[in-house]
Amino acid sequence: MIKIENLVKRYGDLLALDHLNLEIQEGEIFGLLGPNGSGKSTAIGCMLALLKYDKGSIEIFGKEMTPDSYEAKRQIGVIFQNVAVFEELTVYENIDYFCGLYIKDKEMKKQYVKEAIEFVGLESFQKIRPKKLSGGLLRRLNIACGIAHKPKLIIMDEPTVAVDPQSRNKILEGIQELNRQGSTIIYTTHYMEEVEQICNRIAIIDHGRSIAVGTKEELKKMIKTGETITIEGIQLKESQISEIKEIRHVFQAEYEDEKLIVRCSGTKHNLVRILNYMQENEISFGQVFSQLPTLNDVFLEITGKQLRD
Amino acid sequence: MLHLIKYRLKSSLRNRQSMFWALFFPMILATLFYFTIFKMEEGDITTIPVALVEKEQGEAFTDFLLEMEKDDSHIISVKEMDEDQALKALEEKEVKGVFYVGEKVSLSVSNKGIEESILESILKSYVDGANVMENVANLHPEGMGAAIASMNDYQNLVESVSLKGVATDGNIQYFFALIAMACLYGCFLGADTAFELQANLTTLGARRCVTPVHKLKMIVVDMIGTLILHFANLVLLLLYLRYVLRIGFDGQMGKMVLVAFMGCVIGVSLGILVGSIGRMKEGIKVGIMLGVSMISSFLSGLMIGNMKDVIEKNAPVINRLNPAALISDAFYCINVYDDPSRFYRNLWTLGVLSIMMLVGAYLLVRRERYDSI
Repeated sequence: MIKIENLVKRYGDLLALDHLNLEIQEGEIFGLLGPNGSGKSTAIGCMLALLKYDKGSIEIFGKEMTPDSYEAKRQIGVIFQNVAVFEELTVYENIDYFCGLYIKDKEMKKQYVKEAIEFVGLESFQKIRPKKLSGGLLRRLNIACGIAHKPKLIIMDEPTVAVDPQSRNKILEGIQELNRQGSTIIYTTHYMEEVEQICNRIAIIDHGRSIAVGTKEELKKMIKTGETITIEGIQLKESQISEIKEIRHVFQAEYEDEKLIVRCSGTKHNLVRILNYMQENEISFGQVFSQLPTLNDVFLEITGKQLRD
Repeated sequence: MLHLIKYRLKSSLRNRQSMFWALFFPMILATLFYFTIFKMEEGDITTIPVALVEKEQGEAFTDFLLEMEKDDSHIISVKEMDEDQALKALEEKEVKGVFYVGEKVSLSVSNKGIEESILESILKSYVDGANVMENVANLHPEGMGAAIASMNDYQNLVESVSLKGVATDGNIQYFFALIAMACLYGCFLGADTAFELQANLTTLGARRCVTPVHKLKMIVVDMIGTLILHFANLVLLLLYLRYVLRIGFDGQMGKMVLVAFMGCVIGVSLGILVGSIGRMKEGIKVGIMLGVSMISSFLSGLMIGNMKDVIEKNAPVINRLNPAALISDAFYCINVYDDPSRFYRNLWTLGVLSIMMLVGAYLLVRRERYDSI
């Protein structure tokens, strides 16, 4: 559905997109995951033909995307990072206005607007103006304006920024529902939990480059970490830390403030081996956690920094 | 199309800031003008008490003052006193001035105000008249009788009459300039539409740019919607001036509405043009529009009545290009000159200027992709 090849975009001396390559299939919820400033929004701007780019090509629905691609635009819905609605119009009027830019048939438009309002749960706020809505409700309105015309492709640029947990869950559930109804979704965020929760396939972006693409399982298999074991309230000597590093499958052990973090390759029996070592050496400890690899681990191993750095 | 116009009208109508400048501010200003100009003229000037100190008897000035006192206007009341009494009365503000009659006539006042100025004018008019008589006596003594008769038969020989045969009120020009200013204030409504068309200025602009509606269609629709609204503003203002404040507009209402419409076109076009310029902050653009509309209105006579005439004498090209001057001149053509060719020339110029502004705005906003958003 979308094919981006060797996309290069510069802001003066800053290289915002560095030969970005992406391919998104119909029916996916495709996540663009990366820290702030990694180039996600710039990539979206280029896809929508809003931004000039220096090199590369973008195809949507099999055709080059240009500002005049009105047929393609008719099938795209966009939810921008910042809320984009008319302050002077009510909730209903805003959704009706934007839906009317795509749908000419009055009855169909009316039905679509009604469904969009129900979809985001704003039935009780139809006559309210955006200024009087809370942050979460405003985001829901922003989404409704972008999806009311039932587009085939929905591009969401960090739609949950500054949203309360309740609204965030509602939004994430809504995205999955839209996907079930047949929309392909591109979802950009720097929250790895969201991507893990809803995306079928993920591209991790850093410094304008796609550094890894795949399903979350595929991405996690790309890295050495199979399990991360955290032990709190523990006191260790340097020699003991060195011995822990020698335990089978352990490739990294960090100790700081009575907290031990052990990274192991593989996923089986690591915890048992480490606990055995503690017992044999009569080392007391507080809580123990075991965690399978996260996308943050993937990002950490590939880039050497945390996703939120 | 109607869908877009409907929502453009709704959003502009509910934009309090823009509506204040485009509708309510001109109405408030008109009301202030009305009370300042007309009510002040209607205000009563109380009789001014003056003291008369005769150092020499039988002077003509004494008769002149006493005649004035008897006049229906009752502009002065005269009390004859000696000098000490007169000065004491002046100090205690019982009189506003002291006229001395002697070899020369003179006036003493203790303040500077309207009443003192009136007393000065009385003295000056007497001295001027006396000089004329003296000249006539010296140069044409045979005509002295006729001169005196002429002075006694004094009447107001100058009356302002328009070419249409209607007496004009010189103050009406302030209201023409004010209507012109109101027309130009449509720029605030026009600018709002421009802000909402550009992806690099507002997120709303970005959202509208990714819809399947052609940008030119968006501009035209926004222009029509904004124009309808501002034109309604101007019609309301005209009705308010004519029927509430009862300003003496004698011209055809139809033609006045036509001028108001062309004024709206240029006002909205100006806003769309300024709103379309680059990534300048909104506040700066509002400042530019306010500056342009106020300077333009000032030059058309909003604050100083004869400003347009001064410019006509010194730099007439400004009057030919200044939108506010063109609008107020068109109103003049309807109400005073009855000059159709000048009227239509003004309208054509407004039309051409509007088209130039809109073309300029389109060239600025048609940009299909932006360097950054």
